[in-house]
Amino acid sequence: MSDTFSDANYVQLEIFPSRLLKPETAQNLLREIADLEGIIRLFVHGPRLPQTVPYGPATGLPVQHPGNTVIEVAGQAIELAVSVGSIRMEVVDVDVKEQVRGVCEKILTVPFEFREGHFIPTRQTVSDYARRGPNADPLMTGMTDPKGKLKNQPVCILKPDDME
Amino acid sequence: MAYELQYYPGATSVAENRRKHMSGKVEKLREISDDDLTLVLGHRAPGSDYPSTHPPLAEMGEPECSIRELVEPTPGAKAGDRVRYVQFVDSMYNGPSVPYFRSYNAAINFRGVDPGTLSGRQVVEARERDMEEIAKFQMETEMTCPALASLRGATVHGHSLRLPEDGVMFDMLDRCRKEGDVIVMHKDQVGRPIDKKVNLGKPMSPEEAAKRTTIYRVDNVAFRDDAEVIEWVHRVFDQRTTYGFKPEN
Repeated sequence: MSDTFSDANYVQLEIFPSRLLKPETAQNLLREIADLEGIIRLFVHGPRLPQTVPYGPATGLPVQHPGNTVIEVAGQAIELAVSVGSIRMEVVDVDVKEQVRGVCEKILTVPFEFREGHFIPTRQTVSDYARRGPNADPLMTGMTDPKGKLKNQPVCILKPDDME
Repeated sequence: MAYELQYYPGATSVAENRRKHMSGKVEKLREISDDDLTLVLGHRAPGSDYPSTHPPLAEMGEPECSIRELVEPTPGAKAGDRVRYVQFVDSMYNGPSVPYFRSYNAAINFRGVDPGTLSGRQVVEARERDMEEIAKFQMETEMTCPALASLRGATVHGHSLRLPEDGVMFDMLDRCRKEGDVIVMHKDQVGRPIDKKVNLGKPMSPEEAAKRTTIYRVDNVAFRDDAEVIEWVHRVFDQRTTYGFKPEN
């Protein structure tokens, strides 16, 4: 339970636009961010888009929300299950932070908040332990979709070469 | 001089809009046909008769009752309509109405209604044709902006979320979409696809929404800006507390 990933002085960031992003905007932003060197891990956060109607007389009918689409980032297809409200990430140092800020200023047409703080857990919690067991990859700590299933492989490794 | 109802205190635009909503003296901004309304409400097929839950009152032979003689039944009650609902969700990003003022509007200006007020949504139950009258009134007037308010019978999430980039309040069931410069509803209020797209009209510009809203916001008209409202809210709370402690006073 004592494995920590972020012992180094990694910097955690949050990009918080004033509007929920369209899939195209989110894709453009994520592509540009993925092209930067020094991004360790990131996740998108926002209201979930269900595949089927969850409540009421129409329960079970397909929704087909335009936000529920597949985007392509760094050559990998990613199913977007949320309307992107914020992006939280861990980067190597403050230089990368400024590069990310530059990308946001270039891509986003709406005002946004950009802040440094603590957004992704760096130590394994009891839930992480229950999900992934004692020898889990510390890189995966905190990268959990609370409603997802691990068998669906909720985490994409965009640049496997960087892992070595 | 006849007494004129005042409805709500305050000198700001928000207070003025709240008075308008309560009095029912609101501006009509758009036209929605009866068939379109029936389609988006989703309670019956457009053009069909109103299903009834009991025979018309005239045929039933009501018991002798002074209250029944005194109170004229609403058209829906007279015909024996079913009780049905309409539910609105208004964005807190300068949505034109807030749940309480939709309820005040229904309760003050319409008869035979049962408004229910919740934090982010507002439901009115009434006999079907009476409910349709209220729904039409609220949807056609400045009480509704098709982008910042919507009909949501189930799955109402959206009131407190940031607006999406196109300015149409988040809806996980995707009932409304912006097509060109108008808002189109292609599902009914519970999320069932409907036969044709219903045009709900143009959305308000951000400036117009800020002008017509009944929500106090620090980035528009702050609640603390309105001294008269503060005074009356304090007075109501003060007297309610005093009365609660000492009912004999």
